[in-house]
Amino acid sequence: MPELLLEVRQLEVVYHRVATAIQGVSLDVQSRSIVALVGTNGAGKTTTLRAISGFLPSENAEITDGKISFAGSRIDGRRPHELARVGVILVPEREKVFTTLTVKENLQFASRQHSGVTVEGVLSYFPTLAVRRGQLAGYLSGGEKQMLAICMALLCRPTLLLIDELSLGLAPMMTKQLMDQLQQVTRELGLTVLLVEQNANAALAISDFGYVMEGGRVVFSGKASDLMRHPDVQEFYLGGVRETETKSYREIKQYRRKRRWWG
Amino acid sequence: MEVAATVVILTCTYALLAAGVVILYKAARVVNFAHGELAIVGGYVFYSASLGGESLWLAVVGAICFSVIMGVMIYMSMLRRLLGEPLHVAILVTIGIGIVLKSAILVIWRAERLTIDIGVAPAIRFAGGASLSYMDVASIAVTVLFFVALYFFLTFTRIGVQFRGTAENALLASQRGVNVNFVLSLAWVMAVFAASLSGTFFGSRAFLSTESVTIGLAGLVAALVGGLDSLRGAIMGALIVAGAQYLTVRLVDPVLSETVPFLLLLVVMSVRPWGLFGTLEELDRV
Amino acid sequence: MQKPYSLRTSYLESNEVFRRPYQKVLLALLLGFALLLPALASTYFVHLLDLCLLSSIGALGLMLLTGYCGQISLGHAAFLAVGAYSTVILNAHLGAAFVIVLPAAAVFGGLLGLIVGLPSLRFRGVYLAISTLAMHYAIIFLATKYQAEFGASATAGMTIPDPSFGLFVLSGDRPWYYFLLAVVSLTTIGCINLVRTRPGRAWMAIRDRDIAAQALGVNLARYKLLAFVTSSMLTSVSGSLLAYFTNVVTVEKYTLDLAIVYLAMIIVGGMGSILGALLGAFFITLLPFAIDALFGYLPRTWRFGSTLFGVQAGAVGICIIVFLLFEPKGLAEIWNRLQTYFERWPFRYRPLDTVRR
Repeated sequence: MPELLLEVRQLEVVYHRVATAIQGVSLDVQSRSIVALVGTNGAGKTTTLRAISGFLPSENAEITDGKISFAGSRIDGRRPHELARVGVILVPEREKVFTTLTVKENLQFASRQHSGVTVEGVLSYFPTLAVRRGQLAGYLSGGEKQMLAICMALLCRPTLLLIDELSLGLAPMMTKQLMDQLQQVTRELGLTVLLVEQNANAALAISDFGYVMEGGRVVFSGKASDLMRHPDVQEFYLGGVRETETKSYREIKQYRRKRRWWG
Repeated sequence: MEVAATVVILTCTYALLAAGVVILYKAARVVNFAHGELAIVGGYVFYSASLGGESLWLAVVGAICFSVIMGVMIYMSMLRRLLGEPLHVAILVTIGIGIVLKSAILVIWRAERLTIDIGVAPAIRFAGGASLSYMDVASIAVTVLFFVALYFFLTFTRIGVQFRGTAENALLASQRGVNVNFVLSLAWVMAVFAASLSGTFFGSRAFLSTESVTIGLAGLVAALVGGLDSLRGAIMGALIVAGAQYLTVRLVDPVLSETVPFLLLLVVMSVRPWGLFGTLEELDRV
Repeated sequence: MQKPYSLRTSYLESNEVFRRPYQKVLLALLLGFALLLPALASTYFVHLLDLCLLSSIGALGLMLLTGYCGQISLGHAAFLAVGAYSTVILNAHLGAAFVIVLPAAAVFGGLLGLIVGLPSLRFRGVYLAISTLAMHYAIIFLATKYQAEFGASATAGMTIPDPSFGLFVLSGDRPWYYFLLAVVSLTTIGCINLVRTRPGRAWMAIRDRDIAAQALGVNLARYKLLAFVTSSMLTSVSGSLLAYFTNVVTVEKYTLDLAIVYLAMIIVGGMGSILGALLGAFFITLLPFAIDALFGYLPRTWRFGSTLFGVQAGAVGICIIVFLLFEPKGLAEIWNRLQTYFERWPFRYRPLDTVRR
């Protein structure tokens, strides 16, 4: 019986009181599913995640419209550590681990007693990280830092995991490995994940549902498998090539396609 | 022996000050320029709370209350708003706080020169002619205890790890469930308490007045020489500064005693800017 | 459609000295008023203005170094002392005339600024502040030694005669007022032009992101040292003038607290603004006198003496804290917002980079 864990309705976020970053964004995230949010740079994906996880005030931005509900209750406007306590955990795009602490201390930081999830438990999902537990986190490779970030998030007993750009700066093989590990962890722990990604291929491959954002709006949504087959999504985000007889420049130009989103 | 005793006790004073500086740096990446003033005001509070030398317990309670109130107040009303701002703004604010505290000494205690009399009668005699009072013994014991406790706190407890993580990235710490305001207020309370202890011990050996606040700068130098993020460094730095000052006063020129810590610092900084025991990675953040 | 003076849209515009047309008129009126003032005001008031003008020069020096170039310096009092003591030495031992002493003080200050500026090539932020503090103590120690050797007594200090230009002797508050008005005006014009041109832009680049500045070709060493040298030259001149004004030089005046008072001036005035340096200097210099006047209204039962002094000292600290927390761009920004408010009335306008709480 899938229930609606996260409900975002008509969200609008404005930066510095003058620049609207996202407008009219609505998302549904079912419990125990992986939802992907894809789009190009500047589409507003990170802003959406920040709005959900309570990080907007530090960026001089505010929610000017809409509401966000988590497990039935409103969470827009709550502070980050309050949201962390109820189980909304964000893995940010940058600065996701404490570089001056060791791996073990990073994990110690996030763990709670009686939480049912132990340090050894999460490390068992990421064996390459387990051997480096005494090392300073700043000296880890990109992929290992990402694993550490996920482990820290897992130790906070998340109900909803928000991950921003998991594949950023990672080699394709590392990305695939990480995505598979994420899927495995999610299934085993019964988590819900909202995954923001530029690498739409990798994200949609492990997701159940997907949203496509462009220019601050959600322009398309559907089951991940449907999205992957959609020709426009393929052309713009998955690197697919349209099979047409004649290729005129006008046809390839994106703005012609854009009209279809809203038409 | 007398020499050793004097130097050791001066080291303890500076070490406590340096510990406060290190705590604040390790938890909040703030370098506190008001530390000397906090120490001396703490000493004055101790004196006043002891009701003129009558009750030691009341004085200790008074000092603790002062630390809690002052630490929380400084953080919640001032430094909290500066989270995320560049470091030099916080430093300038602490300079401002220092001035306000110094003027508080003038207004509240009329800048009387005070000496704390509790337990200062020479009590224990050592071979070689040195004699220590109960207060002197207490100062050494308390300093040692404080450092040991602090070391365990920062290295082994969860809050200690949270201290260090919060200093690096308060936003991330907040998102991982740490109440950043609590952690930083606690850091300030601990730092002010260490400073108050230091001021009390200084006030019993020397005197409290508006000129005494310069010990804060010596403590700051001790912390810098040892490494801003190292507790071991704080002790070593304090020892070096105390030793250098003592030698200068005895052998060279008493007027130079204020300058010597800084000259020492210049030497150390030109060869090893991150301090004797500090970590190199920390340097760029300043 | 009225031009938005508060938003600059072209490079030429951002380099303008007068952003709004009426500012020229205001300045002319202000200057006219300033010239007439000594005839209207009491000698005491003119004396106060003299003090304000004197500290303006030092404030401008510190503003260039800390406000524009971002190098925190706690050694300002030492540079004032250098100016004062070069004056003393040149006067006492060489009997040099004013027109020689003043440039000489500038040169000594500049040389010392070069030395004090050397750590800035290696350190930033706190470490730099501490090394300037070390220089401060070193210089003050030397000055103390000098005073002990040559002073009337160990604490009395030394006297200097009034400056003379040939037959004309500069003494008395009113003549000094006109002299200082000229000096400050020239200095201000010089500073404004300095910050509008390459050095100023290089300094601001260093202040904001020195690594990026270096990547764009700004020679860090050259401009950092230039900032220190310019600042120390100005400050040294200020110290020399102060010495001539008060006719007495004692080393006790040049404390760390004095350096902090000057820091307060540029913080209150608004870091990164020449107008701010002047506003801040006037504000902080007049503050103790204002408090003194206020105390006169309090009932006699309040204790005077050290309480007054304490409050005066504390007020500076409170100003630093309040301005840093709530109005980091200082009085200059308040003036700017006032002008913008009236310009845009009845529309509201809130600046984009106010920090949200």
